This record gives sequence, structure tokens and C-alpha cells, in this order.
Amino acid sequence: MTIATERLVIAAPAARRRVSLAVLLDRQSVFSWLMMALPLAFLAGLVGYPFFYGILLSLEDRPVAHVGTFVGLKNFITDAHDPVFWRVAINTFVYTGVATFLKMVGGLGLALAMNQHFKMKNLVRALLLLPFIVPTVLSTVAWLWMLDPAFSVVNRMLVALGWPRPGPSWLGDPTLAMVSIIVINTWRGLPFYGITLLAGLQTVPSELYEAASIDGAGGWERFRYVTLPLLRPIILIVTLFSVIFTFADFQLIYVLTHGGPANATQLFATYAFDIAMGAGQLGLGASVALAMLPALALLIVALTIYLRRE
Amino acid sequence: MTITNQTRRNFLKVAAGGTAAAALTARPAAAADKTITVLHESSFIKPFDEYVSNTLAPAYEKATGIKVNYEVTSVGSLPTRISTIAETGSGADVTMNGLLQVIQFSNKYLDVGDIADDIGKAQGGWYDAGKEGVLVDGKWKALPFANIGQLMNWRTDHFAEVGVKKFPDSWEELHDVGKKLKAKDHPFGFELGHGFGDNHGWLYPLLWSYGGAEVAADGKTVVINSDETARAVDFCRAFFKDTMLDDCLGWTDVSNNKAWMAEQISCTNNAESILWFAKREFPEIGKVTDQAMNPAGPKGRFHLLNLISHSIFDFSPVKEEARAFMRWLMEPKQLGGWYGIADSYYQPLLHGYDKAPMWDVEPRNRPFRDALANAHLPGWPAPASRQLAESVAKYVVVDMFAKACAGSSTKDVIKDAEAQLKGIYRSA
Repeated sequence: MTIATERLVIAAPAARRRVSLAVLLDRQSVFSWLMMALPLAFLAGLVGYPFFYGILLSLEDRPVAHVGTFVGLKNFITDAHDPVFWRVAINTFVYTGVATFLKMVGGLGLALAMNQHFKMKNLVRALLLLPFIVPTVLSTVAWLWMLDPAFSVVNRMLVALGWPRPGPSWLGDPTLAMVSIIVINTWRGLPFYGITLLAGLQTVPSELYEAASIDGAGGWERFRYVTLPLLRPIILIVTLFSVIFTFADFQLIYVLTHGGPANATQLFATYAFDIAMGAGQLGLGASVALAMLPALALLIVALTIYLRRE
Repeated sequence: MTITNQTRRNFLKVAAGGTAAAALTARPAAAADKTITVLHESSFIKPFDEYVSNTLAPAYEKATGIKVNYEVTSVGSLPTRISTIAETGSGADVTMNGLLQVIQFSNKYLDVGDIADDIGKAQGGWYDAGKEGVLVDGKWKALPFANIGQLMNWRTDHFAEVGVKKFPDSWEELHDVGKKLKAKDHPFGFELGHGFGDNHGWLYPLLWSYGGAEVAADGKTVVINSDETARAVDFCRAFFKDTMLDDCLGWTDVSNNKAWMAEQISCTNNAESILWFAKREFPEIGKVTDQAMNPAGPKGRFHLLNLISHSIFDFSPVKEEARAFMRWLMEPKQLGGWYGIADSYYQPLLHGYDKAPMWDVEPRNRPFRDALANAHLPGWPAPASRQLAESVAKYVVVDMFAKACAGSSTKDVIKDAEAQLKGIYRSA
């Protein structure tokens, strides 16, 4: 491309060169591409390259520090025969589904409550963001102590209420461990939902509520026929983000259970990490990580189409 | 598994491209002031790291003019750091290895057999366990430094409450004592979750002591599905139910230390760090903490090899200097001082230290020395392999026992483990 431009420049007379450059820059298509070049390069380098390298890795037998050999879809076939892989897939879907639903319902409730007028409204709104702001590893370590039977505030309260000592084993029981990580994820993600939906709520014109009231709508009807339809696009967008984040969650699991007990809380991201970094099988690890892609891509496409139609 | 020099060179040229090539060619110019970078995982014993940076490194620089840069990485991050260095071909010249790294990175490590021979001859010979951990295809890919053994830690006062003065010799006896202790509200606590070491530390030895193993000596045939394994699993389920806290199933490596200091448990399997920490922070607990070798099963007594070793990267621009440094470091004066500073947290793999003064500092640590006689890699009786590393990273054996403790049938958990292991060892 550079060569071609240079030739043009040499061929053109001096007077016209200045004009053509200005005209060129003036042209919208050229200017917009110029403006976009940097972000595009950024995306290609930091998102595109790792992504395509990941795909390449997943098609290779690639032990760490060894040369990779192309094996086609062999890694994916290995995954399909791995009982733990399917356990991990189910775990990830349950974790994402339940946590996202809880965050959506809870976040909406939070937003509606925060949209009321009360004293120190702004302070409370700011404080609500705290779980989201605190680094995940830090807050998870705090949870680790809260769920430890020896020191747990939760267990101490339950025991005080008559539960047999030492109280439930939050991270030792396979089902409770899943419940625990879902609750913590919800706790952490709720503010994101709440604040975003609150912003959406504030854009709903009050005339609509007035009109609905005049038409005889009660509180529930106003919510059902005014608030909800107007919030829907925002709910969808937040859900999209939340699903992506939750699906690929790593830190929480890594700190709290490391996928235990017996893979009861193992998710795609942690399993991929164990295989790639722990076992040194970069190719197989990449294939597990990429197994997340189709489900996520499908969801993103579906939601985007839906939003377009709106 | 070994790749020839030719392909390795190609790999450096093609895959690592610029970085590796630059690192290989540009260095001679900078040879005037040489530095050897040594990567180490941060030690639980603080004076251990300080001894290198404040004593050993300055001494070496004074003697040879070569600077030693001792770089400490946080606990747990060593494998990732070595991966990065091995993949990019730069970052350190000498590295510490945990158990699995020698296997995973052997083709990036120099053969240090000549140094190992000389050190062995000079200092009483190597333990077999040391060789087992560093020999890859018959070549010394690392110099064994120490074992951080995983043994039994027990509360003498609690055991005395049920009339036991000496640590039980067999798993069955320990089971009986544990039942009585749990009834007295002194349960046991052995990690059954996904930590890095305290789980494998007792579960592999348990499996072996009942005659089970994950793979045969050929490193290919999966032999987990056996009556011996079934007996070990049955024992573990009963042992868990009768003696332990329910929470052990979700434990990671810190959990049993925490429970010990909170006086929640009366017996666990851990490194010396429990006694070390208790003596410093909870002297009352320290006084009643003792240590013992793992109990024996019908087929003998076993321990897990948790070897730490040092390797030299083959792409290091100061290979020869690094060799000379390792030779110097492993001399009795330096090595003995380094071991000594950490009491016996790091157990030497040279017989020359069997009667060293470090064992008199804390006689309760002596079982850690004696345990070396029957310590093995997780894949034993097979030699070190990539497959073994994968099986450990996937917690196959740990989860087999854990699932049984959580209530699954012995047949099912062994079948699951067998399926997983067959998938892993298929590539061997």
C-alpha cells in the first residue's frame, strides 16, 4: 500500500499533492479508517493473535517446552472421552445458569429499591458497589475464612441455633460446595447488575408512569407494562456480559476449592489451567478452554439478533 | 520423549524466533560482567532464602567475580515461571524444580551427570530416591537438592488420652486409635481435596502400601483396577468416616495447618512446617506435636517423594559458568550451611548428611530422614514421565479416594480412575 501511494505522489505535480492529501483526509472513508487503525491493531494484537494461537494450539499435541505436532481434532476427541470433561461441562452450565438468574432477579430488586428516594441515597449506592470493586482474590479469601468450619461465622450462628457441631461442611460436601461458589459469585456480581439496571430505570420517563396511573394501573401493572419492557434491552446486555464473565470464572474457584471436592466445582477455566499449566499439556488445555466457545458464541449471536430486532 | 539436538535447534530458530536467536547470539559481547540468574520458589523458612542472597551469592562473587542473582518467585507460581522461561528461552540460567518440572522440561535442561557423579562420590553417595526424581531416560537432568517429606504429624497429648504413647505402626492400628479419638472429639484431618501436595502426600503411599499402583513398571499398562486398590479404597472410606472431619473432602493445602493450630485435629499428614510453625507461633501446641513415618499396610511402608532439584537451562548464555556455580554450591561447605539454616525442613539426598548435626537440632524430625528409604514418585513403579505429571495435575488418584469417601461405590470410583488413566497413558 505504501509503495503505491509513493508512486502516486511522485507522479503528481507539487501543487496538486497538497490538495490531494487534504482531500484524501477529508474523505470520510479514509479518515474513519485512519482513526480505526490503532484500535484495530490493538484488537488484532491482543485479542486476535492469542485467540487464533489458541485455536492452533488446540489442534496440536504440544507438551510445554516441546515442539508441537499437528494432530487435527484429536484433542477434542480425547476431551469427549474424558468423564471429567463432561462433569466440568455440566458444572459450568449449572454454575452460570443459576448464578446469572440469581444476579438478574436480585439485581433488578436491588435497582428498584435503590430507585426509591431515601436518606443518604448516594452513599448507599456507592457502598453497594463494594463487592464488585474489591479484588476477587481478596474477597474470596475472606469467604474462605467465613466458610471454614473452625472459624466460620455462619457455622457459629447455626450451632448457636442448635445445629450439631461443627455445622455444615460448606466446601467439603460436593453439593454445598457448588451452592457456596454460586452464592459468592452472585454476591460479587449483584452490584454490577443493580447499578446498571438502576441507570436504566432512571431513563424511564415519569410521564409514562403518570399516564399508566391515570389509566388505573397499580404498582405491579406499572412494573409489568412500563418498567420491564423499557428495561428489557439493558437486562439483555447485562445478562450477556454476566454470562460471559461467569462462564469463564477462574479466580473464585482457584482460591476457594481448586475444583474440589473430586471435581464437584471444577469449571472449564480451572480445568483448562490444570491441564495446560499443571500437566504441561498446552494443546489439550487449549482444547478444553475452546470447548467453551461454541456455547458462548451461540448465546452472543442469539442475543445480538434479538436486540437488533428490538 | 528426548528430541534430538537437530530438532531442538530448529525449534529455537523457527518457533522462538527472534527472542531465542537474539539471546543465543548477542550474549558473548556482554560476557565481560557475567551474571547467573537462579530462580527459586519462595521458601516457607525465611532464613533459607536470605542465606543465599546474603551469604552464598556474595561469597561466590567474591571468589569468582561472577554475580549470582537469586530470584524468588511466590509459592505455587514456579511451574508457570519455568514454562515461560522454557518457552521464550530467556529469564534464568539455573532453576529450582518441584517434583514434576524435571519431567516436563527435561529437554530444556543440561545433562549434569558429571557433576552428580563427583558430588555423589565426595559426599557418601546419592539416595535412590534422588535418582528416581531426576533421571530422565538415564540422564541426570537435575541435581537433587532435597526432599520435603510428607509424614504423619500427631498430638501426643490427645493420643495419650486413649492410652497410646507410640505412633501406631499400621494403617489398621491408626484406624482403631482414630475411632477412639474421634469419640473424644479429637478427629483426624487428612486432605482429600484439590491442594498441591498434602493430598498426594498420603494417598499414593496408602495405595502402594495395600499393593496398588496406577501404572505398571513399563509406564504404559494401567493397573489401577485391582483387588489391592479396592482394599485401599475400602480402607480409606472407613478411615475417613470413622476418624475424620467431613470438611477434609474440600480441603486445600493450608486447611490442615489451620485446623492444627486451631486444635481441631489430632493427626494429619504434612511436611515439617506444622511443627516448625507451631514451635514459633503456638509453643504450647508445639510441645505436644510429634512426627512419625507413614503407617505400614499389608504390602509395606511407603512415602511420597517430594523432590526439589536444580537444573541448568540448555539455552543459558552462561552454561559453563552455571555448571561451575552448581559444582561450588553442592560442595559440603556451602550445601551443609544451606541445609543447616533450615533445620531439617529440606532433607538431603546424599548419604553423607545422614548423621549431620542438622538432625540433632530437632530429633522429632528424624523420621523425615528415615522415610527417604522408601519414598517414590507418584507414578511408581514406572519411571518419571509426562503422563505421570498429567495424572497428578488431574488429581486422578486423589479423586478416586475422595469420591469413595463421599459415598460412591468402590467399583465405580476405580472404574472412573481407570478410564481417566487409560486416556492419559494412551499416549505413552
